[in-house]
Amino acid sequence: MHGVEILLQPGVFPRLFSGLWVTVWIAGISVILSIPVGLLVGWLMTIRNGLVRAVMRVYLDFIRIMPQLALLFIAFYGFARAFDWNLDATGACVLVFVLWGGAELGDLVRGALESIPRSQYESAYVLGLDSWQTFRRIILPQAFRRMLPASVNLATRIVKTTSLAALLGVIEVIKVGQQIIDANRFLYPQATLWIYGVIFFMYFFICWPLSLVARHLEKRWAHD
Amino acid sequence: MNWSFMAQNAHFFVNAAYVTVFISFFGVVFAILIGVVCAALEVSHVPILSPVTRGYIELSRNTPLLVQLYFLYFGLPKLGISWSAQTCAVVGLAFLGGSYMAEAMRGGLEAVPRIQRESARVLGFSPRQTLTHIILPQALSSAIPGVVANVIFLVKESSVVSAIALADVMYVTKDLMGISYDTYESLALLIITYLIILLPISVIGTVLERRFDYARR
Amino acid sequence: MTDGQENRLEAGRESAGTLGPTGSARSMEPLRSSGTTDPEGRTGVGQRSVLEVEHLVKQYPGADVPVLNDISFRIPKGKVFVVLGPSGSGKSTLLRTIAGLEPIQGGRILLDGRTVESGDASKGVRAPRGNRVSGTRSTDLRTRIGMVFQSYDLFPNKTVLDNVTMAPVLVQKRSRDEARKEALELLDRVGLADRKDAWPNELSGGQRQRVAICRALILHPEIMLFDEVTAALDPEMVREVLQVILELADQGLTMMIVTHEMAFARGIADHIVLLDRGSLVEESDDPERFFTDPATERARQFLSTFTYERRRGDGVGEQAHQAGQGNV
Repeated sequence: MHGVEILLQPGVFPRLFSGLWVTVWIAGISVILSIPVGLLVGWLMTIRNGLVRAVMRVYLDFIRIMPQLALLFIAFYGFARAFDWNLDATGACVLVFVLWGGAELGDLVRGALESIPRSQYESAYVLGLDSWQTFRRIILPQAFRRMLPASVNLATRIVKTTSLAALLGVIEVIKVGQQIIDANRFLYPQATLWIYGVIFFMYFFICWPLSLVARHLEKRWAHD
Repeated sequence: MNWSFMAQNAHFFVNAAYVTVFISFFGVVFAILIGVVCAALEVSHVPILSPVTRGYIELSRNTPLLVQLYFLYFGLPKLGISWSAQTCAVVGLAFLGGSYMAEAMRGGLEAVPRIQRESARVLGFSPRQTLTHIILPQALSSAIPGVVANVIFLVKESSVVSAIALADVMYVTKDLMGISYDTYESLALLIITYLIILLPISVIGTVLERRFDYARR
Repeated sequence: MTDGQENRLEAGRESAGTLGPTGSARSMEPLRSSGTTDPEGRTGVGQRSVLEVEHLVKQYPGADVPVLNDISFRIPKGKVFVVLGPSGSGKSTLLRTIAGLEPIQGGRILLDGRTVESGDASKGVRAPRGNRVSGTRSTDLRTRIGMVFQSYDLFPNKTVLDNVTMAPVLVQKRSRDEARKEALELLDRVGLADRKDAWPNELSGGQRQRVAICRALILHPEIMLFDEVTAALDPEMVREVLQVILELADQGLTMMIVTHEMAFARGIADHIVLLDRGSLVEESDDPERFFTDPATERARQFLSTFTYERRRGDGVGEQAHQAGQGNV
């Protein structure tokens, strides 16, 4: 079990945490931007227009069936050339995570909206509420409760998927770990074990609380 | 689109698809085995083993496959455990997928209403008969959608094994783009290959779901 | 149905005056005064009709036979109109068309002498999309007809008090304080003032229905529609809900009630009709007579489904018994 001293070297943990911050930042911005996209996508999916439905179907199915890494490659290498964008690796990651998160969240929004029983709409109607009041005060709050647990789970998936950013060369926590390992290759040959072990638990301690929150919400709101 | 370029290089993708399918297949098989054992341990409340199972599930679900693979491939040799990239890929997928499968199966078991167990008891079924004739068939039917979704998820996740130098579909794509600069063609081959692998699984999954759907029939 | 039950319901109705005079009389006042706008007096016998239905036809797209065929009736102010009928006869659909939840394909519906809905054969050809309601009535008009449904349809994301005050504040633009005050009075009258801050899922079915009644009453509707409001309740909760409706009848609220509770129908009705396969087969201004000596065979048949009798001594059992003896 020797080699653990690498973790005590000055600068190792601060550097890992600064890498982790990049990870969290990419995940956070992606989650936040996914929310409006998801609401829009979810609303579009409940629309009765054949063309809109078909387009949304293809979008959702394509995003869902492609591996996220493949989507990252398509955005990073493909879009950059096609639209002559100067899309850096971080930008490509955020773009892909928002398109993916938006599609998944949109499906949750659609499912939640469709799960509100018809009698709720009818009760609101006979009380004289107009369609916007019905949506805003009756339907949306209930739909929100129903989709929140799954949405928190989606956020943990986005955090985990952020790890792929390393493969496009973004200097996030894994890449920082690799740099530390490379720099200490001769002094601490055991570094890979400890550094990757630490990164493993860093991800765990971000994602696990989110999972617990999701499960708690699910239990608490299940009976409504 | 340079069609002849795509035709010339298609064979790389056939080989790469074979690698992807091979790793995914064994990953999925082991994941299902782990899942069955873990689900059984979780619902049966065995001391020590059940909490350990829970711990494994939480660890595996809340960490990315890429980090798991790096740990297996680069970290473990420092403890004297050196596995080939292929073994690491299969073990990684099984480690990740085992918890997902366990959750799907546990969900299936818990979805069987209590009244089913009670009815079987009143009718005089033995516990074993209750399990094989009443509980498992119903649990299977409600677990299947989750299991199918997990299979697709694992095949997709297998794209990450390119990071430990396995020549799967992603790896070959990146290689080809590096050599040829024919980005679009390489990406098109990537998309086509994944569609050929994943669409049939998705279709078979839908058919299975319909067939085993007792509740909605 | 025993005589005892019936007497209790009658007694309940007579004793409704024992409700506190403060809460009830004051709160019901707007109900009484709300309908003075109609000068036409359509009924001709001095009694003004709150609701009139003329030759109403309702047909679902693709169906061969209409669900409701040429239905006509009028409900005078302050009267209780009860609709009976077997399942599938169109009772609920009738209420839903009056509430504006379903378009009609023929005839007219008049509220206070004014047409609120006319039959249009082209309407309702397409099913409404998703869960949404296809109705197009103005919000103001909707508040003039109150409705309570069979399912417990309180808004689960609002407390009891918010369920009741929501529509007056949002739709009628009344002040929050005033709505709150009246809501508390109404809840007090149905015995739920202490549950004002509870969430709907913490209430029993009977309590939820009483809140649903308050939620409709606070808008001061000219007529209340009750659609089998006790059908989904446990027997012991039925009474607490029906008691509230009886008290409202005594205070002169106009209402139209669809129910399967025969003792309740007999006790509360001023006018009773039997609906069968979309048509009115019997109408009566004398509920007592309707139950004891109905005019039509169909009504007799319908009422007989609510009584149970074992054939002792002369049925199949007897014959079998005799046959058994013969074998010995």
